[in-house]
Amino acid sequence: MPNQWVCRQKQEDKIMIQTVITDKVSPRMSALREKVISTKPSVCTERACFYTEAYASNESKPVIIKRAIALEKTLKGMTIFIDAGELIVGNQSSQNRAAPIFPEYAVDWLPAEMNELDKRPGDAFYITEEHKKELVRIAEWWKDKTLYDRGKALMNHENRDLLDSAIIKATGNLTSGDAHIAVDYFKILSSGLSGYLREITFHHNQVRLFEQEGIRKDHFYTALTISVKAFQSFILRFHDLAIELANKEKDPDRRDELAVIASNCTAISERPPENFWQALQLVYFVQLVLQIESNGHSVSLGRMDQYLYPFFRSDILKGKITEEFASELLENTWVKLMSINKIRPWSHTQFSAGGPLYQNVTIGGQKSDGSDAVNELSYLIIHSVGKMKLTQPNLSVRFHKNISPTFMGECIKLIEKGFGMPAFNNDEVVIPALLNLGVEKEDVYNYSAIGCIEIAVPGKWGYRCTGMSVLNFMRVFLAAMNDGLDKKSGKTFQKGTGNFIDFNSYEELFMAWKQQIKYYTRKTVEIDAAVDTAIEEFVPDILCSAFVDSCISRGKTIKEGGSKYDFVSGLQVGIANLGNSLAAIKKLVFEEKKISKQQLTEAIESDFDGKEGEKVRYMLLNFAPKYGNDDDYVDLLLKDAYLEFINELENYHTTRFGRGPIGCRYYAGTSSISANVPNGAVVPATPDGRKAWTPVAEGSSPSSGTDVLGPTAVFKSVSKLPTEKIMGGVLLNQKLSPSAISSDSDKKKLISMLRTFFSDLKGWHVQYNIVSRETLLAAKKDPENYRDLIVRVAGYCAFFTTLSPETQDDIIARTEQTL
Amino acid sequence: MIFNIQRYSTHDGHGIRTIIFYKGCPLSCRWCCNPESQSFDYSLMFDPRLCKDFGECVATEVGGITPGANGLIIDRSALLHPGKLTNVCPSRAITISGENRSVSYILEQVEKDRPFYKTSGGGVTLSGGEPLAQGDDMIQLLRELRKREIDVVIETSLHVPWSQIESCLGLASLFLVDLKHTDKDKFCDYTGGDLKIVTDNLGRLAAAGERIIIRVPVVPGFNHTYEEIKAIVDFVSSLPGVNEIHFLPYHTLGNQKYNMLGIEYLLEGLNRIENTELTGYVNYAESMGLSAKTGG
Repeated sequence: MPNQWVCRQKQEDKIMIQTVITDKVSPRMSALREKVISTKPSVCTERACFYTEAYASNESKPVIIKRAIALEKTLKGMTIFIDAGELIVGNQSSQNRAAPIFPEYAVDWLPAEMNELDKRPGDAFYITEEHKKELVRIAEWWKDKTLYDRGKALMNHENRDLLDSAIIKATGNLTSGDAHIAVDYFKILSSGLSGYLREITFHHNQVRLFEQEGIRKDHFYTALTISVKAFQSFILRFHDLAIELANKEKDPDRRDELAVIASNCTAISERPPENFWQALQLVYFVQLVLQIESNGHSVSLGRMDQYLYPFFRSDILKGKITEEFASELLENTWVKLMSINKIRPWSHTQFSAGGPLYQNVTIGGQKSDGSDAVNELSYLIIHSVGKMKLTQPNLSVRFHKNISPTFMGECIKLIEKGFGMPAFNNDEVVIPALLNLGVEKEDVYNYSAIGCIEIAVPGKWGYRCTGMSVLNFMRVFLAAMNDGLDKKSGKTFQKGTGNFIDFNSYEELFMAWKQQIKYYTRKTVEIDAAVDTAIEEFVPDILCSAFVDSCISRGKTIKEGGSKYDFVSGLQVGIANLGNSLAAIKKLVFEEKKISKQQLTEAIESDFDGKEGEKVRYMLLNFAPKYGNDDDYVDLLLKDAYLEFINELENYHTTRFGRGPIGCRYYAGTSSISANVPNGAVVPATPDGRKAWTPVAEGSSPSSGTDVLGPTAVFKSVSKLPTEKIMGGVLLNQKLSPSAISSDSDKKKLISMLRTFFSDLKGWHVQYNIVSRETLLAAKKDPENYRDLIVRVAGYCAFFTTLSPETQDDIIARTEQTL
Repeated sequence: MIFNIQRYSTHDGHGIRTIIFYKGCPLSCRWCCNPESQSFDYSLMFDPRLCKDFGECVATEVGGITPGANGLIIDRSALLHPGKLTNVCPSRAITISGENRSVSYILEQVEKDRPFYKTSGGGVTLSGGEPLAQGDDMIQLLRELRKREIDVVIETSLHVPWSQIESCLGLASLFLVDLKHTDKDKFCDYTGGDLKIVTDNLGRLAAAGERIIIRVPVVPGFNHTYEEIKAIVDFVSSLPGVNEIHFLPYHTLGNQKYNMLGIEYLLEGLNRIENTELTGYVNYAESMGLSAKTGG
C-alpha cells in the first residue's frame, strides 16, 4: 500500500512540499541491498600490509607521522571499486563486507583463530589460504609491538590479574581502539576539506619549534596535512574510476550518472559540497575513512536531518532533486554503511553479537530555542531506513515533550516493521543533565546518540562516551559475600569485611558491597588510565582529531586533550541481578527467615544442586520481589547499591584532566550490548536464583522473565534508577509481539505510554523488538528462511541468524510484553 | 476479594488502564476464560507440570493434599482453608487465586500508573468476576477513585440486584456490559443465570443516562449465528442512548486453568474463532445505527 508522506508547510517561505512516496524500493537499490546482505563477510589484508610496510620502513619517525604515512599509503594503494547502480561511492576494503585488519592494535589472535573464523557459531568470516599466510607474516612483524602488548605492559601485576579474572574487562579497548564518537559534520560541510587544510596550515605556522610542546605540535600538524591530503587524493581516485567506468558504460543514463559521481568527487575533494548529493557523498567518505584509519566502532553520523537539511531544502525548492531521488541517495548510503565491516577476536565478538558497527544516525529532537527540530528530511530518513530494513545505520530518535504526534506515528510504524528501530533517547533527561555537567547551551541541543544509546555532542566530544572497561557487578557482589574472595579465580583482590555466614543483618551485607565496590570502581579507572595512555602513545588518530573541536587549534589529538568536552563511561553489567539478589537476601534471609544463611550459602555454592538447592532457588525466584515490577522494596535497594559505585566514580578523572577539555569525568553506563551473555558465563550462581554461567540481565532491563506486571511497571522501576547520573546510557529493551500494536488504538496507547515514560518519568531510553517468540524459535531452527530477520540485541540491531545459539536463546527467553 | 491487578490494560476501556479483577461471580459461563474468578472464596490451582515434590504443601496440613505415586493427590472436598497455601509452594505448582486486599492497598497499586492514565486518558477498570457483587468495599473503592479524579470503567454482567448498580450511578464514566443472549433458556443453560435480571438492569441503567458499551462474547454453538446476534443487536438498538457494541470472539487461552482448578471444561474441543468471522455482525450492527467493532 502506498504510504503517503506529506511534508509540512514551511511558514517562512510558504512553500508546500507535498509528495507521495511509496514503500517500493527501486530495482537498483533492491539489488544493492540484496548484494550487501548476501555477501559473506570475509577478511581483507590490504590495509594490514600497507600499515606494516609503512611502519617497517619508517621506524625512526614519530608514531603520529608513521600513522599518517601508513594511512596515505593505504588510501593510495588499496583496491577501490564502484558497484553497478551505485550513487554514493567509496569502499573500506577490497570487497564489500570484507573486514580490514588493524595489526597495530592486536594481531596475534588472528593466526591463532584464523582456521576457526569460518566455523564460528556466530559472526563467521571467510578467509583464503593466501591471506592466512600473509597474516602469519604480518603477525610475526608485530610481535610485542601492538597496542594490546604495550597496553598490558603498562599495567601492574594486580590489574593484569584483574583483567585475566574477567571481573573487569577491557580487552576490546586494546584490540579495537576507541571511536564511539561523531565528528563535526556541520563544520565539514561548511568548510570543505580545503578549509581544514587552511586551518591546519595557519596553526602549523604558529608552532614554536624551540619548545618541546612545539616539536610535538609540529608532528601533529605535519601528520594532519599528510592525512587530509591523502584523503583528498583518495576521493579523487573515485573521480578517475567513475570516468573510466563512464567511458565503458553503454547505458547513457548510467553514463551521465557516473559523470555526476565523478564531478561530485572532484568538487568535494576540495570545496564544501554544493548540493544534497555531494553533501551525502562527503559525509559517507568521512565515515568511511575514519573506519580505515582506526579500528574503533560506533563511529556515528550525528544529527543527519539537521546538517543535511539546508542542502536538501535548497535542492527541493530549486527543483534540482526529487524526494524519490533524495530517498534513493539515502537508501544507497544505508547500504554503503552496511558494507563496512569489522572483525573482532572471539573473546570480544561475544560482547557485540551480530558484528555491528553501531553507526548511529540521530534525528528529531529540539532546536536550540526548544522548538521541534523535525523536518521533511527527518521523515525521509525514517522512511528510507524502513525501506531498506538493514542493521545499519542504527537509527535513534530524540524524543522531547513537543515532538509532533505525526512524527511519533511514523516512529511507531517503523517499530512495527520489527527490526528494532528506532531507539528513543530523551531530550527531557539528557539536556538538563548535560547542562548540569557544564556543557554549554549552544552545544547541548546538538547532542546525538553514539553507537547504541549513549550520547555526546558530535564534533565536540572525545572518544568513549561509553564503552570503557566493563565491570561485572555480580562477581563483585559474590566477593562481598565471601570476605573479598573471588571464588572463580581463587584470588582475594581486596580483603572483605567478612563472610556472609557471619553477617547478622542486611546492613552488614550492604557494607560489604560498599567496601568491595569502592575498590573495584577504582580498579576500572586504573585500567582505563593504562588503556588511554597506551592508545594516546601508540595509535593516535589523526583524521578523526582533525574533525573534532578544538584539536587543530590546540595542536593536540583527541586523546591528548584536544576535544572541547571529555566525559566517558564504562559499562556495568548485572544491574537487575544485583537488585534482585539484595532483595532476596534481605527479605527471605534476614526478615522472613525462610532461608537460613547456611542454606543460601550451600545452595549457591552447589549451583542449586539437589532437591534442597532447587527448593532454595525457587524460593529466591518466586518469593522475593524482582526489579522491573515497580516495587520500591527492590528498586530502591538497587538504586542505593548502584549509587555506591556512581558516587565513588565521581572521585576520578580521565587522563585528559587539566589538558584542555571541559569535564574529564566519568559517569555510569549500562549500554552493555550483548555483554550480558559472556559476563554471565563467568559468574557462578547468584542469590537472585540465577544458575551459574547463565546470562545476567542485559543493560538496565529486568532479568529475563521476571517482569510480570507489564511495561508500565518496567518503566516505573527503570525510572527509579539515578538516570541523570547514568549518562553512559540506561538501556531498556522491550519486546512486543506484532499483534500487540496492530490496531490504531494500540499504536496510540503505545505512544501515550512512551510519552509518559519520557516526559513524566524522565526515562532515558527504550527500544522495541516486535517479534513473536514463535518466529524466533522457527528462525533458530531454520536460519535459511529467516535470513532477513532482524532483532534488537541490546543497543543495536542484528540479523538473528548470525547470532550464536546462546545469544539467540537469551533473546527468546526475554519476556514478551503483551499489550 | 480480588484475584489480580493488571496494569497496562489497553482493551477494556479508553486509554491505558489498570484492571482490578474481583473474585466471585453469580454466573458460571461455560466459555469463561477466567474460571478462577467464579468462586467467592480462595481457589486452589494446581499445575502438576511444575510440581517438584518439595512437600511444603503437605507439611502445611490444610488437609486434602497427599503425596501419591504419580504426584500429588488433591481432594478438594477435604481441603480446609486453602488460603493458608498462599506462597507455600516454591515452584508455584500450587497457587492460590484470591487475595483479601484493603481499599487502601488497591489504591496504592492503582496510583502507581497515574502518570500513564493522565497522558492516555485512561484510568481504572473494575472487572471480575463480577465487580458489582462485591459489597461495600468495591463501592468504597469506587468513591475513593472518583475523589482522586481517577476515571473508572465498570465491566459487568449486570446479573446483580439493582441496588448494587444504583449505588454506582454517576461514579463511572462507562459501563462495559456483557449481553450474551436474548433467549432466556439458552442464557440460563450456558451461564446458570436469569436473563430477566440482566435485561431489566440494562434497561434501567440506560434510562439512568449512564454511558454504556455492550460487549457480546461470540461463542460457537451458543450465539454464533446471524439470527441470535441479530436479536441481540436489535435489543441493544432499542435501548435509549446505547450506541456502541463490541463483538468478542471466543478464544481458548483460559482452558488450561480449568484443569488446574479441577473443573470440567464443557466446551472442550471447540476451536477459537477469528475476528474476521465477525465482520457480518459488525456490518449488521452498523446498519442498525450502532458503532461496532470486534475485539475490546
